[in-house]
Amino acid sequence: MLIDTRNIWKTYQMGSESIHALRDVTIQIERGEYVAIMGPSGSGKSTLMNLIGCLDTPSQGEYYLNGKLVSAMNDDELAHIRNKEIGFVFQTFNLLPRATALHNVELPLIYNGTPSAERIRRARAALDMVGLSDRIGHKPNELSGGQRQKVAIARALANNPSLILADEPTGNLDSKSGADIMSLLTELNRAGNTILVVTHEREVAHYTNRIIYLRDGKIEKEERQVGLKA
Amino acid sequence: MPPKFSGVLHELLEGMLIAFRAIRANKLRSFLTLIGVVIGVATVIAVVSVINGMNNYVSNKINSMGSSTFIVDRFGLITSEDDYFKALRRKKLTLKDLDAIKRYCSDCIDAGAHAEMQVKVKYGSQYLEDVWGFGATANFIEISDIDVASGRGFTDDDDRHRRAVCVIGPDIAENLFHGKDPLDKDIKVDHYYLRVIGVGTKRGSFLGQNQDYWVAMPFRTFSKYYGKRLDLTLHIRAASVSTMEEAQDQVRLILRNRRGDKYKDPDSFGIFTAASLMELYNNFTSTAWIVLIGVSSISLVVGGIVIMNIMLVSVTERTREIGIRKAIGARRKDILWQFLVESVSLSALGGIIGILLGVGMALIIGKFSPLPAAIEAWAVIAGLLIASSVGIFFGLFPAVRAARLDPVECLRYE
Repeated sequence: MLIDTRNIWKTYQMGSESIHALRDVTIQIERGEYVAIMGPSGSGKSTLMNLIGCLDTPSQGEYYLNGKLVSAMNDDELAHIRNKEIGFVFQTFNLLPRATALHNVELPLIYNGTPSAERIRRARAALDMVGLSDRIGHKPNELSGGQRQKVAIARALANNPSLILADEPTGNLDSKSGADIMSLLTELNRAGNTILVVTHEREVAHYTNRIIYLRDGKIEKEERQVGLKA
Repeated sequence: MPPKFSGVLHELLEGMLIAFRAIRANKLRSFLTLIGVVIGVATVIAVVSVINGMNNYVSNKINSMGSSTFIVDRFGLITSEDDYFKALRRKKLTLKDLDAIKRYCSDCIDAGAHAEMQVKVKYGSQYLEDVWGFGATANFIEISDIDVASGRGFTDDDDRHRRAVCVIGPDIAENLFHGKDPLDKDIKVDHYYLRVIGVGTKRGSFLGQNQDYWVAMPFRTFSKYYGKRLDLTLHIRAASVSTMEEAQDQVRLILRNRRGDKYKDPDSFGIFTAASLMELYNNFTSTAWIVLIGVSSISLVVGGIVIMNIMLVSVTERTREIGIRKAIGARRKDILWQFLVESVSLSALGGIIGILLGVGMALIIGKFSPLPAAIEAWAVIAGLLIASSVGIFFGLFPAVRAARLDPVECLRYE
């Protein structure tokens, strides 16, 4: 079991009122799965993604990632877990604007102290895997949207994480580049990576093998399917 | 796990690189940010260099007076206008006082005296004003730091017979005779003709005052021209450094007696030694140090606040970047380091510019003004350290703030 959330709640205090962003969510995801979390805005998708991505901790309940109890960790332990276990792909790419593609991909390796020669080797390999080996010296503003997202995927892959967490990965892309990115993710899943996609688009979710529907902070239903071919 | 050290080192270099990239990208902003630190450090370096140069020079000058020589005059140390007017009412020191010291002070081996006056000097069509003219006993040259370069000094005989002879400073020789030999020429000092018998050695200038612009004549010659009631300064040499105290005490006793100073009254004259002059000078410069420290700390604090401000702006501007870095695995201390290294790089750069500017200023001051300047290695290192600590101190708050930011909120920040 890679992801194991047990009855997690996330509650925000707004003045005297308590708002439950997540209510009693229990999800289990095995290593190697390709899963989508779907739901309309305000359904708690982002909150769930933040919790699974170890950016935040639940108010109640337990979360085990790769056998480790994440819900009880402090800031720096969470940072360490994020660095080691999770690769993020964001809707807005979130690359460092002043850094080259290579440097962006290197970044997670810098934070775990990988020596520089090894770092460059692995960053190049990751960029190679997403098909951008001829763009390593380019800065984000010299790349197309699709290429930027590929750099972000390469960055997510660089540290060889247990989980790739993609939050609306096609949200800022035209449909052709979007399809491109989704087939890349599918390919990566076939190569053995566990991938979790958060989206509100049905077409995106259809690439995966399992869709978890979220509404009002609760799991509404779950579907298993044969994912779209790349 | 790879060795932690290379990671730390990398973070440092990375931080500096980010800092210098940011500095290059915002040239005007960086310039404005750094100007406080630059001015602060430049002031420190320039003023320290000038004070040091002055210290070297003054201690040289004062020590050339000789550690076994002391000076007595009727004014002593004047620190206020009141003192001055009081001292003006005191009796003048006379040749009889000098004779008494010579006779009764057993620990003194020699004593001389001089009296001085501003004079005009003329030779042919050449005319010089504001020349330091003085009459001195024949042994004055041995006791003072004036030496005769060519010709001879005057003798007791010259003094006793009130001969119309003089020794002139090298700049007087230069200005009156333009390279011709001044010896045995008659020059006119005020209304009197004097024969030049010697030229003094060059001493340069001291705090802007030319020390080679003088005319000396035997004491009694001077006294014949300028009056009997002259105000004397006595120059006394003790037998050795170890008997300095005793010699001063004896002189004090002799003079108090002769001048009728009452038991409880302070001395009606002043005694100066190289050591007491040095102390006086040090008192004066310690005030200068305090002023220097005050002025430069104000500009350093202002510079630090500007850096803090710009770092806070930088943290806000890069909230999203902080979020990205945290999502990717940066710990609090990684972010802290990044911003701290950035502010230290900024302030250290300001320090380096300040040092260059300060050294340049010191060199220019040393070259084009009477103030000497000596650039000290420790001042340069201190400048750099001070600048860096300003960066650490004022960069800490913004860096801590950045480190504590919540990654979720940072990633949502537009």
